[in-house]
Amino acid sequence: MTSESLAETATENIVESEAVSQPDKSELARAIDLLNKLKTVVCRQVLGRDDVIELAIIALMADGHVLLEDFPGSGKTTLAKALGEAIVSNDSEDSNPDILPFRRIQFTPDLLPSDVTGVPVFDSASNAFHFRHGPLFAHVVLADEINRTSPKVQAAMLEAMGEKQVTVDNVTYPLDELFFVIATQNPLDLVGTYPLPTPQLDRFLFKISMEHIDRQSELDVLDTYKQRRDRSLELGTVSRDEILQARAIIDREVTISPLIKETLVDISRSLREDDRVLQGNSTRSMVLMLPALQVAAALGGRDFVSAEDIELLLPRVLGHRIELAPGVTDMERVLADNMRDAMERLARSTLG
Amino acid sequence: MTIRVEHMTRQYLPTSLRALIIASGFWVLSLSLTVLAGSVAAVAGCLFACYLVDLKIHRAPLRHLRTSSIIGFCLLLAIVAYLLGNAIAGSSTLAALLSPITAFNLSEATQWMLVCTAIVIGLRTLAHRTSYGAVVEILFVATAFIVTLAAHRNGMIHRPFFIGDFALIRGIDPATILMAFGCGAVLALSALLMMESNQKRLPYHFAILGLLCLSLVGYVRLFGLPTPAMTDDLGLTGQEQAGNSRQNENPFRDGENTAEDKEAPVAVVVFRDDYEPLNGSYYFRESAYSQFNGVMLDYTTREDMDRDLIEQFTNTEIQAEVLPGAEDQRKPVRTTIGLLVAHRNPFGLVSPVSYQNTANPNNLRFKRAYDTYSLAPEYDFEYLLGRELGRSEWSEEVLQEYLQLPDDPRYGELARSLISNLRPQYADDPYAKAWAIKSYLDENGIYSLKNEHAYETDPAASFLFGDLTGYCMHFAFAATYMYRSIGIPARVGIGYSVPASNRAGGSALLIQAVHGHAWPEIYLRDIGWVIVDPAPQQTLVDMTTDPQNELQQLLGDMLRDDASFEDFLDSQQSGLISLQDVLNTLYALIALAIAVGYLVKWYRIVIPEIATDSEQYRLSYRRMLDSLAAVGISRRYGEARESFAHRVEQNVPSLQIATRAHLASSLGKEQAQSLTPQQWAELRKAVNQEVNRSTVPWLRILAAINPYSWITSR
Repeated sequence: MTSESLAETATENIVESEAVSQPDKSELARAIDLLNKLKTVVCRQVLGRDDVIELAIIALMADGHVLLEDFPGSGKTTLAKALGEAIVSNDSEDSNPDILPFRRIQFTPDLLPSDVTGVPVFDSASNAFHFRHGPLFAHVVLADEINRTSPKVQAAMLEAMGEKQVTVDNVTYPLDELFFVIATQNPLDLVGTYPLPTPQLDRFLFKISMEHIDRQSELDVLDTYKQRRDRSLELGTVSRDEILQARAIIDREVTISPLIKETLVDISRSLREDDRVLQGNSTRSMVLMLPALQVAAALGGRDFVSAEDIELLLPRVLGHRIELAPGVTDMERVLADNMRDAMERLARSTLG
Repeated sequence: MTIRVEHMTRQYLPTSLRALIIASGFWVLSLSLTVLAGSVAAVAGCLFACYLVDLKIHRAPLRHLRTSSIIGFCLLLAIVAYLLGNAIAGSSTLAALLSPITAFNLSEATQWMLVCTAIVIGLRTLAHRTSYGAVVEILFVATAFIVTLAAHRNGMIHRPFFIGDFALIRGIDPATILMAFGCGAVLALSALLMMESNQKRLPYHFAILGLLCLSLVGYVRLFGLPTPAMTDDLGLTGQEQAGNSRQNENPFRDGENTAEDKEAPVAVVVFRDDYEPLNGSYYFRESAYSQFNGVMLDYTTREDMDRDLIEQFTNTEIQAEVLPGAEDQRKPVRTTIGLLVAHRNPFGLVSPVSYQNTANPNNLRFKRAYDTYSLAPEYDFEYLLGRELGRSEWSEEVLQEYLQLPDDPRYGELARSLISNLRPQYADDPYAKAWAIKSYLDENGIYSLKNEHAYETDPAASFLFGDLTGYCMHFAFAATYMYRSIGIPARVGIGYSVPASNRAGGSALLIQAVHGHAWPEIYLRDIGWVIVDPAPQQTLVDMTTDPQNELQQLLGDMLRDDASFEDFLDSQQSGLISLQDVLNTLYALIALAIAVGYLVKWYRIVIPEIATDSEQYRLSYRRMLDSLAAVGISRRYGEARESFAHRVEQNVPSLQIATRAHLASSLGKEQAQSLTPQQWAELRKAVNQEVNRSTVPWLRILAAINPYSWITSR
């Protein structure tokens, strides 16, 4: 018996035994299938960005938001649009007819908060004010060049992101439970911008710097952009309810071991003590990270959070939450240095 | 600036270390081959060459030279050095200008310095330019130590003294220490090599190399070094032939005028009775040349001659057949003699009358130990005057044998001319005549180990009627022939003569090779054989040697009895930790460490078989990691388990499944067992097979014997 066949039998046995020993697994498996379906759909529209798509899906499922640092024309809108279009509202009772799958807001310096949230308009027919919903009332919102607008618009936007509600004229309007913002900013063209301060950046689960896609992917984009544009509607979709359900299942079924939590706390503490770090990450950032870790584990086909997930997510979650001391620029290295000890402890602890 | 300094230290440190190691190799090698000046010059030349090559190899003009040119230059330099050294030693101008000893030292120093420089330049250049060069260098240093060890295989490493004495006082074989030095040197050199050539070596490869070297020392401690049979040694010690053969060799030799090589301890004598010789030297007679064989004097073949001598060792007490006379003028002295070098005949303080074997107190140190009983002379000059010659019991034939000499009238003529000056009242006195002849040799003879008479038919004649330059053998033969020519029965006594001052107030006396001696003796009636030893006033040899009082006392105590020897050792060791204890503790610790390593290794292999199901995920997985770590594959610090599994996926695909299952059990839901024990066993087997398939055999063997293969598993 060769080792390959041994390995195969072992794999089969694992799957089998898991199926037998854990009846809930099928539920989690369905959630995982949903994630993969969403991923496949978006990947077919956005080529060469699998890692970003994965992170975006993780943020979507973990109830977080994403900040993309990128140059124009790199597919941000395509990504957000593809994600938004893949999600359809089903006609359940609690669904709000005012909420659309996808909205895009181009931020400019003269934008006003009401342009984003919506505004009460006087309806002469009923002789009453009637709230007209702004573009925030959507499942997926693309906030383009968020640093170009004034702080007050940013504040309104961020309140919506944090509280899932907008308040206009002292009336609070709830946003949809599935409210996901993809914000972008251009890191190079800083003239006339209002850079987001660190506390506001804290609202974003991930800050992702995108790299140019590789040559073959770029060629594929050129070859297939027409087909992709035309058949965008033929692709499969997932319903909003399915996503919310999957979110609940993942939260329930994917275990976070106390060891993992210890590791997260240890890394944070180590970062705060590091001389190269001016201000460490908040406790909230770790709280926000937990669901993201669960989704990452589920995407990896696991029902437990593992070191791999921390390695994947930690730099994206903490990268924009930490202020480095003047003169220190290499964030990756600072993070890697501070992660090493805690990760080693985590790895060793599993051997007892 | 800082970078520059750092760079320089980084370059100088290994260079200096390597230079020191190679120099120590040369030093050890040269010790047994040359004088002190030569050793010092060798070290100096070696250091110079190391720095020269290491610092200048990448600069002009060395950079532009081809390796073969440099090697050729080195060969040429070595040849030139050899010729130059010989020229200096052979030059009579220099010898006259500087004194022969200085000239000799100069020649040795020149030769060794240049030859060592040439060799080291060659070695270092090869090491820099070729891939095999460093190995040659390591081999060279190892060989230097091995050659030295081999040269001293009979355990008598007397040089360097500070190592030899240090070790002897603590009861350790100096060879062990020297070998430890050698191992250390080779290890250090290997370490330098590994560091410099940026080779990826795991620390435990190195540790195993060190362990092997240490085990070599342990082996020597347990079994000792092989001891070769005694060979022809120093021509003066009277032990030139192996075995009991009485076949004589030419006792006349040509030698170098240096006492450097002759400090080797030969025997130690413990005096049981106090005795101080009147003439300032202790004489120990071993044998005598008394019968003229047609060419020169030789051991007698007649039963009725030299009956006072004892010809061989026996296990029982043996008495001389004939005792000396004048017992009232002699003091009975009992001595115990321990032989450090094998001898053919027993020897004893003049005149020995009985020998008795005693128990050898230390087999490692002494070849043989025996008691002698001597009747040591206390008579003064006047007592010997006015005596008659010959022994009354002697037959006419025997007397004639003691009067035989070469058919050369010049002996008689010279002797008669010498005694003609005697004052009338002593004109017929045999002792006075002998003294007159001795005085002539004292005043005119020149003592020199280097001489031109060794290959003459009659070296004594060549010496006496030639330049009068020779060593004790020449003086003894010439004097004996002259005594015989004027009718005094005489013979050449052979043995040792040790200055009385060497005893330094103690009861032990160390006999060194340099003390080997031959002297003329005459027979005075009723007294016995009386030594009339010419002592030339001019000498070309510095015969003073280090009396080595420490060693003398040590060996004496060792020989005297074990109890006082133990006391001596205790007195030497009081206040300092015994090296022996430290070594033993070290060995025990190493053995314990190895045992513990194997125990843990075995435990970690076996435990998955008998562990409960709920522990399988941990113990089985650990065993897989162990088998990977043993062949040098282990998780990096801080690396996640999945990343590690992914990294080794190419060679060990099964590890990924195992890792997944392991993590599922340890980080997943409580009590969740993802695999059954049977599956774990299968996975273990699969990982083992994959590891074996992807590694080379020698690595697997190393993994199997390494007791701490599991230490990098994490």
